[in-house]
Amino acid sequence: MNITKIRKEWWFCVSVLAALTVTAGSTSAATVTVNLRAEATTKTMPDGITTVPMWGFAVDADPVTVPGPPITVTAGDTLTVNLTNNLSVPVSLVIPGQITTMSPVWFTDGQGRQRVMSFTHEAASGGGMAVYTWTNVKPGTYLYQSGTHPAVQIQMGLYGSLIVESTTPGQAYDDASSAYDEQLVLLYSEIDPALHEAIDNGSYGTTGATSTIDYNPKYFLINGEPYSAATGPLPAGVAGDRVLIRFLNAGLKTHAPTLLGPYMKVIAEDGRLYPYAREQCSLMLLAGKTRDVIMTPSAAGAYPVLDRALDLTNAGAASAGGMLRILQVNPAVP
Amino acid sequence: MRWQPYNRGGRLAVAVMAVSSLCGAVAYAEIDGITGSTFNLTAKTGYISGADGLSLHVWGYANGGGSIQYPGPTLILEEGVPVTINLTNEMPEAVSIVFPGQESVTASGGDAGVLTREAPPDGMTVVTYTFTPTRPGTYHYHSGTHADVQIEMGLVGAIIVRPTGYDALDPSTWRAYEHADSAYDHEYLFLFTEMDYEIHWKLEYGLTSQVDTTTFHPVYWFINGRNAPDTMLPAGTPWLPTQPYNCLPRMHPGERMLLRIIGAGRDMHPFHPHGNNLTVIAKDGRLLESAPGLGADLAYSDFTLASVPGQTVDAIFEWTGEKLGWDIYGHAPGDPLEPNEYAPDHGKPFPVVLPGQLEITFGSAYSGSPFLGALGDIPPGEGGLNANAGYFYMWHSHNEVEMVNNDIFPGGLMTMLIIEPHGVPIP
Ligand SMILES: [Cu+2]
Repeated sequence: MNITKIRKEWWFCVSVLAALTVTAGSTSAATVTVNLRAEATTKTMPDGITTVPMWGFAVDADPVTVPGPPITVTAGDTLTVNLTNNLSVPVSLVIPGQITTMSPVWFTDGQGRQRVMSFTHEAASGGGMAVYTWTNVKPGTYLYQSGTHPAVQIQMGLYGSLIVESTTPGQAYDDASSAYDEQLVLLYSEIDPALHEAIDNGSYGTTGATSTIDYNPKYFLINGEPYSAATGPLPAGVAGDRVLIRFLNAGLKTHAPTLLGPYMKVIAEDGRLYPYAREQCSLMLLAGKTRDVIMTPSAAGAYPVLDRALDLTNAGAASAGGMLRILQVNPAVP
Repeated sequence: MRWQPYNRGGRLAVAVMAVSSLCGAVAYAEIDGITGSTFNLTAKTGYISGADGLSLHVWGYANGGGSIQYPGPTLILEEGVPVTINLTNEMPEAVSIVFPGQESVTASGGDAGVLTREAPPDGMTVVTYTFTPTRPGTYHYHSGTHADVQIEMGLVGAIIVRPTGYDALDPSTWRAYEHADSAYDHEYLFLFTEMDYEIHWKLEYGLTSQVDTTTFHPVYWFINGRNAPDTMLPAGTPWLPTQPYNCLPRMHPGERMLLRIIGAGRDMHPFHPHGNNLTVIAKDGRLLESAPGLGADLAYSDFTLASVPGQTVDAIFEWTGEKLGWDIYGHAPGDPLEPNEYAPDHGKPFPVVLPGQLEITFGSAYSGSPFLGALGDIPPGEGGLNANAGYFYMWHSHNEVEMVNNDIFPGGLMTMLIIEPHGVPIP
């Protein structure tokens, strides 16, 4: 059995897991092969004028997106990623929290020192290919991301979500406390347009900035898009559902999603189930962190989830923007 | 020779003396705020004072027709009792209120906004929010409109929901939640915020389009709307008319202090108590319990508490001087124990030979003695701010850059805990 379980739907459509995966009833581990390519792209900001150079991932012949395509596998599977690199610099691929053999790549700096450039083996620039394999993957929510010059390459957009489903259908982990009816992914990230411009035009590290110490993001994204008046609500099940929300932070800053209305049971962090869930309406979401929560709205409604770190603007504009979404919970079907 | 107080004319001297004089006036310990089931709040502009003399343009919630308050009035509610909050708007832009942690808020009147209904800036339209606080605990409210700017400008406030059965006059009912693990002898509010004055200046001069919160760079940090050392001034001090709340936690050895900690700004604040660890018992108005009714069985001890924006934390602080290895009262071995004294150290000598007076520098809160409740000789002009011979512990942000007022140390997110000797009244 060789199943490539890639969901190509738009991120904000990702809600009903059962309809999208073919894991139900499957108990034997599969080998899942994903053909990813890394490539430059651009993203247009909500003002319709500003475009930002980005690097992103795509699967097979699909267009490049940021975040990269969501990857879903099942616990115990072997995940193989064939990465083709169409960028002008080497890249690599890591999944913090999943175990594999790492082969760091070193370089000699200007003072003759050996320093790490990539956490593991690289796909060479200009069309090079590399194969990355993780066996016996653990359930949970993870980021996949570049392992090369990560301060720059992750910021440029080389990240995406990996969801490893439990072998028990309808559960995020191997425990009944993680059972859910619906799920959605909220992946947080930021864009500093000046940094992207410098990396794109080659001035970063040469005539321009030499580090991200002056990092100053202007756009704050959920699932690749800042909020704007055009952003529709996210479907989040019906009243009484257990709605699993997988929070991921691929940005460089801490964010603090707050849910107005229902509470969230915080069940897991970095792909590890807590022994006891905690009931909160706020959530500390550190850079690089994933956290899983279950909300059980008792009533239908439109429930905002806003970044209480107040990254709620698009480049300083006064209208609502940034890391904000409205979760739409519909009435229960009688 | 008895120690004589010297009033050196400093603000701190005024603070401590005034606090002492308040002692007889208040019969019981409660966080300052407004109570009831209907509140009329007005959003308007005003000014606050920084502890360095700064006068800063802010936007705030006022109680009725009063002046703005920073933070907004602390709403003290009762579990299960419905509340109505009417909001009118005298600011230059639309405004609203959201209530994180309140599960069934209804809003009516005004205009539809992104998060909730909003009051237009006409000084007349009333938006009405209603909800029933179904669970006791510590919460907050803030503007749900243009929130990156309006929270920065001051539109935040605390909410305390008293559990059913709470009676301010009966200490046996003093609990934050419906479990003895949250019982306390004293409670204090710690609402943390920060400000970037450039945003305030631009809005004061109408340069609205120049405001860009992505360049946010705070240089003032607040507890309950004041920078240190103003945190230690009395509540309601007349020269801080828009900052009525103070933060001067006081307790006796062996008592339980409840801290209601609210991350009301946009930054994380690592809050560090000296003297002992905090025991975190609740977050976001929910006891840290493994199952309902078990109490705070998931409570944990913390040396530096991560205050997260938008999150509330309840913590218990206790102090007896335990395990110092010497008798903090300076007892001889045969002396009777003080209430709640740590018996194993009773009568153990102070392990330091005190230098002579010419060899030391005197802190203004030094009583002249290392022992709790004891006064000693101090040269003329020294000390004077510790008339009860209490122990002072600095409680502050462990992000030490936040302990300044626009680059001047000490200040910012800092105050003092005072361990008072037994017999000293604490309001
Ligand atoms: Cu300290």
